[in-house]
Amino acid sequence: MAQSGIKVAAECVTAYEELKSKKAFRFILFKISDDGKEIVVDETGKEDDWDVFREKLISSKSKDKRGKEGVGARYAVYDFHHTSGEGIVQEKPGLLSWIPDDAGVFVKMTYAGSKEALKMALPGLAADIQASATEDLEYEGSVRPKVFKRL
Amino acid sequence: MAVPNANTAPLSEYAGDEVSALVLDPGWSTTRAGFAGEDAPKSVIPTHYGVSSSDSRLFFGENAIHSPQANLQIKNPWSADGIVEDWDTAAKLWEYSITSRLTGPKPTHPEKNGLNDDPNGEAMELDAQEEVEKPLTENPLLMTEPGWNPVKAREKYIEIAMEDWGVPAYWLGRSGVLAAFAAGKASALVVDVGANITSVTPVVDGIMMKKGVQKSPLAGNFVSNQIRAMFKQNQVPLTPHYMVSSKTAVDAGAPSQATYKKFETAPPASYRRLQEERVLTEFKESVVQCWTGPGKLSNGTNEEIAKSQPPRPFEMPDGWNQVFGLDRFKVTEGLFDETAALEDDENAKPTKAQTIPAMIQAALNQVDVDQRPHLLNNVVVTGASSFLPGFNDRLNAELQGMYPSPRIRLSAPGNTIERKYASWIGGSILGSLGSFHQMWISKKEYDEHGANIVEKRCK
Ligand SMILES: Nc1ncnc2c1ncn2[C@@H]1O[C@H](COP(=O)(O)OP(=O)(O)OP(=O)(O)O)[C@@H](O)[C@H]1O
Ligand SMILES: [Mg+2]
Repeated sequence: MAQSGIKVAAECVTAYEELKSKKAFRFILFKISDDGKEIVVDETGKEDDWDVFREKLISSKSKDKRGKEGVGARYAVYDFHHTSGEGIVQEKPGLLSWIPDDAGVFVKMTYAGSKEALKMALPGLAADIQASATEDLEYEGSVRPKVFKRL
Repeated sequence: MAVPNANTAPLSEYAGDEVSALVLDPGWSTTRAGFAGEDAPKSVIPTHYGVSSSDSRLFFGENAIHSPQANLQIKNPWSADGIVEDWDTAAKLWEYSITSRLTGPKPTHPEKNGLNDDPNGEAMELDAQEEVEKPLTENPLLMTEPGWNPVKAREKYIEIAMEDWGVPAYWLGRSGVLAAFAAGKASALVVDVGANITSVTPVVDGIMMKKGVQKSPLAGNFVSNQIRAMFKQNQVPLTPHYMVSSKTAVDAGAPSQATYKKFETAPPASYRRLQEERVLTEFKESVVQCWTGPGKLSNGTNEEIAKSQPPRPFEMPDGWNQVFGLDRFKVTEGLFDETAALEDDENAKPTKAQTIPAMIQAALNQVDVDQRPHLLNNVVVTGASSFLPGFNDRLNAELQGMYPSPRIRLSAPGNTIERKYASWIGGSILGSLGSFHQMWISKKEYDEHGANIVEKRCK
């Protein structure tokens, strides 16, 4: 259990299984529910374009403890694809947590203190990326080398 | 505040919205306490306390230890190793930090308040009396602790809270992990530059890597002592405020022209030292500077470059004043370069292993190779001594020098409160979450399992 005591809603595991087995989505965004009790699915997406995904993270909003909306944080599972020189396609679902430095301390604390719960609920994740600035969301410059380390 | 009686309320009630938890973050220089959910600790008291040399009475709080008295010795309950040494006084001081500003003292039990003195007044049951007299029976308590706290000390914390204070629920958090979370990081390398101790704590996936935790005395007090040594070399008279009754302006370097207070018996040396420390903190805030690198201050022409920067003036409480040039860099250089530390009979030379860069290296060597680049990308700087101007730039330069290939990234909250009270704030948020109620160790669980339950529940 993560230190915040926040739980993972069953729908998160279901969505993750669908992404893995049925390739139903390219990515899933998770957030902490407004009542602060559990991590829930915020949105799923099928777009292959990394920038669509990136943009969703950057524009996300979260509420502070008084319910005021501000700079947001999210967790995401992204189905990373890589095609090698010989045309072999590799697919790996990886976890990405987006907790930007300019989010409020309440949002940072609750998201950082709850990440473990999600990670433990989703078996078989191939990567765990901690992004806190937009440069960490550059696919070629930052993300890909972390997911496909040995390529 | 409307609070249900904690002795009868079920766990979910007192850990819910109705009663705020208390958060206590004890440090060497200050002890921070407040209600969970608030943005900053309401009660920040000096950890130093006074002991009357005539009747051994204890004095807590800024006001009680501020005025000079002939028989008031000043002490601190922590050891130089950053572990509580004097448990009895620490417990009393911590209780004071909470009851003086937050919960208020418990009313004296009717049997003991003198109004019911009756030779037949034995009617009160002893058990009931004990319950009532414990001072903190209403709010769950979240405490922070240093990463090197031994098991015995951790058990002692919960014992004090449960047995002496009667708290209904308790949780103990590693201050490094709380600071990492408050910076938005589940994995981080936390560099905490405090007063007594500088520590480096690797946190991976929300867990403190105990093996990797490093600590050293090269912190705020060390810098204070370096300034003292520099003052001695340059014949700078370090005069605390309480000694001066009035001053007149004098030229730089000229002897002061002040009237000094007269004491029949001068306050003890320990009192003077604490008061000097205040002047030294002012000196740190307005004069001292870290050489920002790259390279050590002694490298090549670095000293020349430092010398060419405008010197900073400082005025002692008695009006004596002078400008400080290269010296304002020299007093911090020892944090990074042991060979540069000023030495005299009161300042032993530090070892290389005690310097901040060496501690970071030692900490990283204890974590998985794969994790190292990740941690170097998430260095969280906290503790009030990290406010030394140039500190972050220098740390960054040292890390770049040691680890040229992975990207180094320091994160230090620009917000003063968040940097100074990172662990307290982390605890404050955690303790205010509805979801956190299942994390508390309840009184019942403590009674069943004993103090060792902290080892299982607060990893
Ligand atoms: N603006 C500042 N610039 C430089 N140093 C400062 C500044 N403000 C406070 N300090 C120093 O910071 C130290 C106190 O830091 P902090 O409050 O983090 O320590 P602490 O938690 O009480 O101690 P420890 O962590 O060692 O138990 C003191 O040595 C003080 O002189
Ligand atoms: Mg500290």
